[in-house]
Amino acid sequence: MRSTRRCVLQGFALSASLPLIGRPARAQFAGVTRRAIPSSGEEIPVIGLGTWITFNVGDDPVLQDECAAVMAAFFEGGGRMIDSSPMYGSSQPTIGYGLQKLKYPDRLFSAEKVWISDPASGAEQIEASRAYWGVKRFDLMQVHNLVSWEEHLPMLFDMKAKAQLRYVGITTSEGRRHREIERVMSSEPIDFVQLTYNILDREAEERILPLAQEKGIAVIVNRPFRQGSLIRQVDDEPLPEWIAETGARNWAQFLLKFIVSHPAVTCAIPATTRVDHMRENLEAGGGILPDEAMRRRMVDYVEAL
Amino acid sequence: MSDWWTYTPADFLMFSPRVYFRLVERYNQDFWPLQLVFVAGMLAIMVLASKQVRFAKVVLLPAFAVAWAFSAWQFLWLRFAPITWGATYAAMAFFLQTALLLLLSWRASHDILAVSRWRRYGGMALALFGLLLHPFLGLLAARSLAAAEAFGMMPDPTAITTLGVLLAMRGRHLWLLLPIPLLWCAFSGLILTGMEDLGAVVPIASIFFVAVLLLTSRRSRTHSSEEQ
Repeated sequence: MRSTRRCVLQGFALSASLPLIGRPARAQFAGVTRRAIPSSGEEIPVIGLGTWITFNVGDDPVLQDECAAVMAAFFEGGGRMIDSSPMYGSSQPTIGYGLQKLKYPDRLFSAEKVWISDPASGAEQIEASRAYWGVKRFDLMQVHNLVSWEEHLPMLFDMKAKAQLRYVGITTSEGRRHREIERVMSSEPIDFVQLTYNILDREAEERILPLAQEKGIAVIVNRPFRQGSLIRQVDDEPLPEWIAETGARNWAQFLLKFIVSHPAVTCAIPATTRVDHMRENLEAGGGILPDEAMRRRMVDYVEAL
Repeated sequence: MSDWWTYTPADFLMFSPRVYFRLVERYNQDFWPLQLVFVAGMLAIMVLASKQVRFAKVVLLPAFAVAWAFSAWQFLWLRFAPITWGATYAAMAFFLQTALLLLLSWRASHDILAVSRWRRYGGMALALFGLLLHPFLGLLAARSLAAAEAFGMMPDPTAITTLGVLLAMRGRHLWLLLPIPLLWCAFSGLILTGMEDLGAVVPIASIFFVAVLLLTSRRSRTHSSEEQ
């Protein structure tokens, strides 16, 4: 059986449209697995929402409404964490537009970043980001790509102490500067680390993910689909029948289940512009998560394609 | 940035092709039919200048300055910069080009030197391509004409047309006007490559075309001076 993301989605959309089995989206995805943030014990769903590229739509009202619809599906499906950055163009105002339209859902877990080399401008940038989102404060503030982290982290810890934010983190992507990330994780009392991890980019398994478990640091995973190229790479290949026992029905869910089944991972943040993909991503966070033996089998299968 | 070599053009692309082409469509709708005014107006000035009409020669570079300023302000600064932070710097470079065009227009009409026939025809061909054919390139990618990129409105055809005219009318200081359009073509080529758009070939090929014409024209000049 060949099961592509597209044909599964068509079936999914068809079944969702049947009035006899119609029910609120909230009930459909209530089973998204939750993981505790080690530093507080607060639980968050393992599927979040990234905004790199997808939410950078300028002031286009049609595209802004599409993003707001994705956010609505995200919250209805039990999602909480939305992640963005001042580097992402107009993504921040787009999030703010969506949040205003959705009347600022209580369940929002806002994850932002400070991305500026001048340490003196960090607080000003955070305030500008907060104004774009329209929230009272951010839940999580991360130093983006380790830019001036030695200067920004003390400021963020100070803001956390004053309850101006709840958690502090650092980020990297695509396997860059992992040694420096390890150094920060070992020496600073951060709550979160964000990095790239997927079925083909598994360098983090060697040192960073074990270190996160050891130090009690929550892990956010970016680029779960390598910005879509990973799905395009495997989409024409047959999905293995044995993955059906986890509930994965397409490659996107296969790939997400691999990521969030790692015990160190707290939340993956796939980005999308489509409501059906958003629902599909959330669904991947439910059902059965692969055990270690199946994870090995998943890697072997994908590497053999 | 010790790991700069790990970056590709796609890593710098902050928006999707759909967002970009919708942006161009909405921009065109906002100003229609100004596109026709820019293209027809510049075509008329170029034709008259080539026939040595004095007024056309005087207004040629200022007319280009208007096109660079308009595309910088209305497209790069107001519309493109919100979705890609590099556009802010590009807009500043476009404003600098505007200033250079105005400064050099002061003497340009008196300053024109003879160029080889190849260079003159090559430059005119590039200018006419930027002015008349570039807006229709999107049709090859099955895009609507609503997203056409026209001279004076969008940076690519403005830069390419400018390069063509500069090739055709070598002046003592006109080389100062070459770097910014060439740099823009390189930047645009990177963006379009990141978007996996075949249109990336156009600005990159324009750079090579200009380089070839400049080199061959320089060689023929050297050759003719040696013969003298």
